[in-house]
Formats: sequence, structure tokens, C-alpha cells
Amino acid sequence: MMATARIGLIGVFLVLGLFFTLVSAVGVIRLPDVFSRAHTASQADTLGAGFALAAVALTLGWQSAAVKTVLLLLFIFITNPTAAHAIARAAYEEGVEPWTTGDDRR
Amino acid sequence: MTASEAGVVVPVKRSVTLRQTVGYVIQRALDRLADGEEPVVHFVVIASWRADDPGSTADRRQADDLLEQVETWAQFDLDESDVDPDSITIETAVIGDDDYHFSPTDYADLLAEYAVSHGITNVVVDPEYSLVGHTTLLQPFEFELQQRDLAVEEAPVDRPTRRGQLVRRDSPARFLALFGGSFLFYQILGGFSGLFDIVTGLATALVVAVALDNVSFYRDPTLTESPKRLARGLIYAPYLLYEILVSNLVVARVILDPRSKIDPRLTRVRFFVGSGLPLTTLANSITLTPGTLTVKADNQQLYVHSLVPFARDGLFDGALERWVRFVFYGREAARFPSPRDRGDTEILQDPDADEPTTNGPETVADGGVDPNPADSQEADQ
Repeated sequence: MMATARIGLIGVFLVLGLFFTLVSAVGVIRLPDVFSRAHTASQADTLGAGFALAAVALTLGWQSAAVKTVLLLLFIFITNPTAAHAIARAAYEEGVEPWTTGDDRR
Repeated sequence: MTASEAGVVVPVKRSVTLRQTVGYVIQRALDRLADGEEPVVHFVVIASWRADDPGSTADRRQADDLLEQVETWAQFDLDESDVDPDSITIETAVIGDDDYHFSPTDYADLLAEYAVSHGITNVVVDPEYSLVGHTTLLQPFEFELQQRDLAVEEAPVDRPTRRGQLVRRDSPARFLALFGGSFLFYQILGGFSGLFDIVTGLATALVVAVALDNVSFYRDPTLTESPKRLARGLIYAPYLLYEILVSNLVVARVILDPRSKIDPRLTRVRFFVGSGLPLTTLANSITLTPGTLTVKADNQQLYVHSLVPFARDGLFDGALERWVRFVFYGREAARFPSPRDRGDTEILQDPDADEPTTNGPETVADGGVDPNPADSQEADQ
């Protein structure tokens, strides 16, 4: 019974992780400019990777490898916004105008 | 020659050469006295804290202690000479504790304002005087002072060693914290699996601590404050996860629903969290939350790109700012008006404007050189 519940939960986490990664992919294609795309690219890293790693931790069970997945998530949470910020800042300093409603693209 | 022209301002901060600097200043004042002037010496501490911050009373007390010490030294030097001690006026002051300061420009402005209000044009600087704690920003500081029509002089002192830019003096607390941290991390990765791991872990941690001691911590970790910050950070983590979840769902809906429209705007918000690690934490938290993206940090102002009005409202309500204040300064610091209430928010792209960006990127892009040296402060971490 416990085993079934655990496998079910692992499945749910995996599907959620896939869902947010998909959303992120759709967002990168649909959104108009580099700034708004940077928003959605970070989604794949936060919840996409977050749920996937939660599923991994649950599969591994109570052992030290599970702790490492939590550490992995921690480092992703530190590096991901730093990278997103670096991209956005580079675009800003190059003089890229953020897209707003009223611009003709989209 | 009027009395005011014999006045001199000396910015002070604890340093190895401060005693010598005080000695030099007093000696110069004595020379002036011999020339028939009425020397006035002002020793000034430029605050690196804000008066209404929790913990600022301790900073203030340290500054007062330092000024008292300096005054004692000065008085001692005067007593050593044969002149009447009252013929040289010594004043002390703490300035600039109404706001955070970052760049040499800020510091120079404060000092120049003080000097002008006391009719002084001379500044003597301790060569080991450090502006923001660790970086040697003395030359830009002196340049800025000269731009403000002040005569700047470095006190001629003997220096034991010259320190590099990023490197700070060794401290046992920092070394031990880094050593312990890396050892623990090694053990976690190794799964606490016995003697071999402990021996190799000790060796690895030693190498890490020796190599990175000088660049790892911004200030010394303490047994009282650092564990509290860590614990409050652990309370913050679930809240941040919840925020990430909520805004992820909102943004996912906006992306997947073909009828929904995004409404992106660049905004500028002035936050009060203190420079360095707190500001980096806040900027990273903002970027982690989908819908808001930190584009640029300019002193305490963050340029944040927001995707939808929901995210923008959350940003202006300042929940993350209050949480970061809570993590770094404790519970009473979290009671703080939101950026919206303070009037510290600004939407840079007006929806009805023809030219979308009013205060935008071109100025920076065209200039080539970033006009604000403090911009890169997030890289200091």
C-alpha cells in the first residue's frame, strides 16, 4: 500500500515537473522579447527541475543520495537567477528596449 | 589668514595607521599654531549604517568609542607638546547615518557637505582608510573630494604591509567557519562513511580554507548572529518556495491561455535592505519568482522587469523585501512600509507614452562606461 502511494507520488511529481518544463518551452517560443523570455526560462529551472528532483529524492528513499538532490536544488536556486540576471543585464546594457503592449510585434 | 582656513577634516575608521594619522594631524595643527593661526581639527566618522536599523545602536556605540579614542590620542599629543591644549580645537562627529552609502561619490558628498558647513577646505586622509569595509576605494574617494574643491592630503605614515583589492586581513573566525563548512559539506557528499572520508575531508577543507579564506566571507561570522540568520533563512525558504509555486501557476496560465495578454513593464524600485549579501539575496529571490526579473542593480535601486500586473503588485507590496530584512536583521526589522507606501516605486515605461522608455537603457549603452562605479557591487560577493 505504502509502495503504491509512493510510486503514485513519484509519478505526480514527474508529471508536474514535465508540465512546468513544457510551459517554459512554450513560453520561450510565444513571448516577444529577451526579457520576457528570461522570465519563463527560469520556470523550467525552478519548478521543472524542482519537481523532477523531488521525484528523484522520493525514488531514492531515505539515504544520503537523497540529501544530494536537495543540495542540487539549492545550487540550482542560486545559479539560475544569477544566470537569468546576467542575460537580462547584458541585454539592457546593449540597449535592448523591453517590449511593451502597443509595440507591433507579437 | 582667517581661523577657518586653518581647519582640517579627518575621516576616521579603525585602521593600523590611524594612530599615526592622528599624530600627523596634530603635529600639523601645532605648526599652524606656531604660524599664528587658530587650528581646528574635525575627526569625522562616516556612518555605514542607517540610524533606524536594528543593531545600529551597536554600530553607533562603536563609532563613538572610536571617536573617543581618537580624541584621547589627540589630547595626549597636545599634552606632549608645550603649547596650551586649549589653543587647538578638536571636534568629533558622526555623519551620514540617515541613509546607506556605497560609492566614493556618496562618501565624498557627505564629507564635502560637512566641510563646507564648517568653512573648511582641507582634508587629511589616513592611507589605510577603507570606505565600504574591504575594498580599497581610497583613490576614487580622494579624486571625488578634489572635484569638490577640497585640498586632500594623505597622512605620511609607515605601513606594515600593503593589502590587495579583494583580500582582507586574516581572521580566525572566518577561517574556522569556512573550514568547518567545507568539512561538513564533504562529509555530506561522502555520506559520513568512515575514517578515510574524515582524513581526506580534513585535508580538502584545509586546502579550501587556506585558498579561499580571504574572499569567502564579507564580514566575520559570529556565534550569536550567524546561526540566527541561518535559522531565519530556513524559515524564509518554505515561504519563498510557496511564492515561487503561486507565481509559476499565474505565469503558466498567462503563457498557455491564448486569450491572455502579457503586460510587461520595466520598473525601478528602491529597496532598503543593506548592500552586499542582503541585496543579492533580495535580487535573486525576485528573479527566482517567475514574473519578476532583476535586470540591474544601481545602489539600492533595482531595475525589475515584470511580466504581468499580478507580479508587479506583489513586487510593490514588498513582501520579499520584508522577508529579507527579517532574515538579516530580525523580526522587528520586518515591520517596514512597503515600497508602494514609501513612494519608492516607479514604472519606467508609461503605457500611453509614444516613446516607451523614459529613463532607459540608451544612456548607459551610449556612454560605454558605466557612470556609476557602485553598480558592480553585486559582483563583490
